[in-house]
Amino acid sequence: MSWDSDTRARAEEIIVRYPQRRSAVMPLLYLAMAADGKLTDEGMREVAEHTGMTPAQVYSVASFYSMYKRELGEHLVSVCRSVSCHLLGGDDVLAAVVDETGIRPGQTGAITVEAVECVGACGGAPAVQVDYELVEGVSPAQARALCRWLLDERPGFVIGDDLQARFGGQRSFDWGPAEPVGALGPVPAFEPYGTTGGGA
Amino acid sequence: MSETVSITIDGRTVAVPAGQLLIKAAEDAGTYIPRFCWHSRMKPVGMCRMCLIEVEGPRGTLLTTSCTMPVTEGMVVHTKSEVVRKAQEGVLEFLLINHPLDCPVCDRGGECPLQDQTLAHGPGESRFVEEKRHFPKPIPINDLVLLDRERCILCARCTRFSEEISGDPLIEFVDRGNHTQVNTFPDEPFASYFSGNTVQICPVGALTATPYRFRARPWDLEAVESTCAGCAVGCRVSVQAAQNEVVRLLGVDVGATNQGWLCDKGRFGFEYLRAPGRLSTPLVRGEDGELREATWGEALDRAASGLAAVLSEHGPAAIAGIGGARSTNEEAYAFGKLLRSVIGTGSLDARVGDGLDAALAVGGTGRIDDLERAKTILVWAPDLKEELPVLHLRVRRAATELGATLIVVHPRRTGLDPDADHVVHYRPGDGFSVLDRLRAGADDLAPVAAALAAGPVVAIVGRTGLTEPPDLASAVAEFAASLPGAAVLPVTRRGNLYGALDMGLAPTLLPGRASAEDEAARAALADAWGSPVPAPGRDADGILQGLADGSVKALVLLGADPAADHPDRASAEAAVAAAGFVVSFDLFLNDSNRGADVVLPVEGFSEVEGTMTNLEGRVQKVNRIVPGPGLSRPAVEALDDLAARLGRSLGGGADAMAKEIALAAPAYAGITWEALDWGRGRDGMIATLAGGAAAPAPAVFQRSVAPAEGMALHLARVLYDEGTMTLAGPAFAPLIKAAMLHLHSDDATRLGLAEGSTAVLTGSRGSTELAWTRDDSLAPGTAYLPFGLGVSVGAAVSVTVAPGDGSGER
Repeated sequence: MSWDSDTRARAEEIIVRYPQRRSAVMPLLYLAMAADGKLTDEGMREVAEHTGMTPAQVYSVASFYSMYKRELGEHLVSVCRSVSCHLLGGDDVLAAVVDETGIRPGQTGAITVEAVECVGACGGAPAVQVDYELVEGVSPAQARALCRWLLDERPGFVIGDDLQARFGGQRSFDWGPAEPVGALGPVPAFEPYGTTGGGA
Repeated sequence: MSETVSITIDGRTVAVPAGQLLIKAAEDAGTYIPRFCWHSRMKPVGMCRMCLIEVEGPRGTLLTTSCTMPVTEGMVVHTKSEVVRKAQEGVLEFLLINHPLDCPVCDRGGECPLQDQTLAHGPGESRFVEEKRHFPKPIPINDLVLLDRERCILCARCTRFSEEISGDPLIEFVDRGNHTQVNTFPDEPFASYFSGNTVQICPVGALTATPYRFRARPWDLEAVESTCAGCAVGCRVSVQAAQNEVVRLLGVDVGATNQGWLCDKGRFGFEYLRAPGRLSTPLVRGEDGELREATWGEALDRAASGLAAVLSEHGPAAIAGIGGARSTNEEAYAFGKLLRSVIGTGSLDARVGDGLDAALAVGGTGRIDDLERAKTILVWAPDLKEELPVLHLRVRRAATELGATLIVVHPRRTGLDPDADHVVHYRPGDGFSVLDRLRAGADDLAPVAAALAAGPVVAIVGRTGLTEPPDLASAVAEFAASLPGAAVLPVTRRGNLYGALDMGLAPTLLPGRASAEDEAARAALADAWGSPVPAPGRDADGILQGLADGSVKALVLLGADPAADHPDRASAEAAVAAAGFVVSFDLFLNDSNRGADVVLPVEGFSEVEGTMTNLEGRVQKVNRIVPGPGLSRPAVEALDDLAARLGRSLGGGADAMAKEIALAAPAYAGITWEALDWGRGRDGMIATLAGGAAAPAPAVFQRSVAPAEGMALHLARVLYDEGTMTLAGPAFAPLIKAAMLHLHSDDATRLGLAEGSTAVLTGSRGSTELAWTRDDSLAPGTAYLPFGLGVSVGAAVSVTVAPGDGSGER
């Protein structure tokens, strides 16, 4: 299950941004996840080949960072539990997500649920990310609705502004012009990964 | 490093080299600072925090890791203060949070730095009451090494070794926080030729080696320092035995040779000493044509009468000897003396058609340690990683750590290619034209020629493969000698080939590198021996030729197996089979002596005392720690007894031979067992040419050429071949890979070889069908076949390759 020519071309496009090939290991791990839907041994071997590292070295990096996941559902719901969100009911939001989906933090069903540390949205706490797209001011009820929507509607892509409008509450500040595109799956939306979707 | 600074350690002022790390400076000055992660041959990381000491500075006294702190003038250091003691106790309490303290069942118990330092510097009790972390008990990280992650203290010595020293980073830290562990990639083992070193440097019992696991306790071991006989590098080792069996080898840190490292073949190769097939009784051929057990007296009588019969009927020239390259110098010398002086033949050779020209082999001008100072390194030699692994590590260190420019010239990729600045791959047979173009600085080789102009240059020269005639290596050596500041290291693999040649085991050489063609040298030796010294006879190829055509009737083998080791195995096997009378001194029955008339079991590595000479001419001591099995005896004694039955004793055992070598071989004057044991034991002593004695000049080069049509065969050894040492040692069985034919993709396409199919390789001595694989490091038109894996098609350079139909697949 080696990479197709499109993925290989994307890898080279990413690698040329760095002074050394091996510096591209982290973005290439996202690319590997985007290509296979999760991080596989085969994907890590491909990253090793493209960066000139050994598979063991790539595995070392991949297993250190929690965002490289060996199991992933169609979408990734990340509930913040750091100080600001905790004080404003983040734990209740997480409990609502777990109850609605039946998936415990760190586990994967149709989607993946995780509890994370600060996502940089303290002003809009409690915050949730779906495929790294941010939703602020989420109540437990809104979180349930969000999960229901993800599970029932199975959206192909998610856009932060859209999520905020449907499931969000109090925002930290005006985010400025609406974002035209969102994330295609549980990897950050980034053009070189081919993970952006929903653009006009 | 001549500049020194003065520092004060615990109130004592000492002068230490400027810029040196504090931990090392303190140790050299007599103050040992405890440590786990720091290793003198690797870069510091400051991970384990065990070496915390106090350094006085402008902002007060600071706790700092002495392994990352270079010394500076006037530095004041406290290593035994109350603050340091508390810090060390804290660090050890922390390191022991997860350590299982299963010392009673741990191989490391009794020699464990964690155990020792906990006793010396630990708190005595722990405040941690939480559950320790658990992992499945040892997991294999390769076929030789097991990893117990519960015992690991995460010092990263093993992972740093694999990246910095051996260059195969296949073990790494994975996961993080409390889950951090050393591991390999799933399903990708730590396939390294050097993995045993991680076991030796592990400061706890996390890494253990399967051959030693649960075999002995450290306090029950006897140890003796010796020299590894596995290849011609001559690594210093500590041979350790329990209950009269060698159970492990550890590398000894000798700056001049191995710097503490060993290859896995050397480290774990001792198992063959007690392998089931090891000979323990003399064997003679009975009336029924089968070998049967005999007493030493009967066997020696048979050997003597058989040789005496050939002598009286056909004369001494009908007797020849091959061997000695795996023996000690004393054994080799006794063998040469038996053949030249007692029997009177000039046909003797330690090489088996796979060596270098004798003049080149003994004419090296370099030392391994020259690599430390080299600006440019030329490696036009066998793949060092496969044949001389620890020399590979030294070259790699020079290229990656010391900044030397590395040039590798070889028919295909070698272990050094990833670290080389210039790589030249050529078709076997084209070597002379590559050399011509290099000499002329032509086109594509201009950058290489320019690099070679920057000296000092160390040139490592040898035969890249067995189809390559030795002339090319001699020509490369001649070219290399003209480079600025040149030091030439001629290399071949076999353990003591250099010593054997120094002892005169080549038709053109007398003991001490004197020329056998030199009448005066022969006369001098004849005086010393009290018998005439014959003129040069045949070399190994000539002997095998003579056996085949009947002009040589009897063969004496000393630890040699030409039928397996000669590049042209089929004809060598036929030649040995045609011999009228064969006497073999060996540890095992092999392809050459299975048909012998008399087989005499001799003692081997770690069973005899003597000296060996490595590829740079360094004479080092090998020592005895266990007896050989059964009735086996030291080869010198057996040779002496045979000589006595032929009319004249050689003059005694190994110690007597050692004394005689110092007299008969000018280059060995002054190199005595006493000097090696007491004076220069670790570093050995270099045997240098004493003025006057000269090796014969190189022959006129026979310029080989690549075949115009068909494929050129590259035949080269791999580390784990089907040799005695690897086949007999159970540790290596899973590591021996089946022979595969390597072809360039273009050739595979041209020849119509389908992926996963077989290929038929046809050479001068028959044809074989085997699996093939793509290898685009080969020049198109080249076929590479690993030697010594049971597949042989002769050693001619020209072969043909065709698609196979599976019918003849091995």
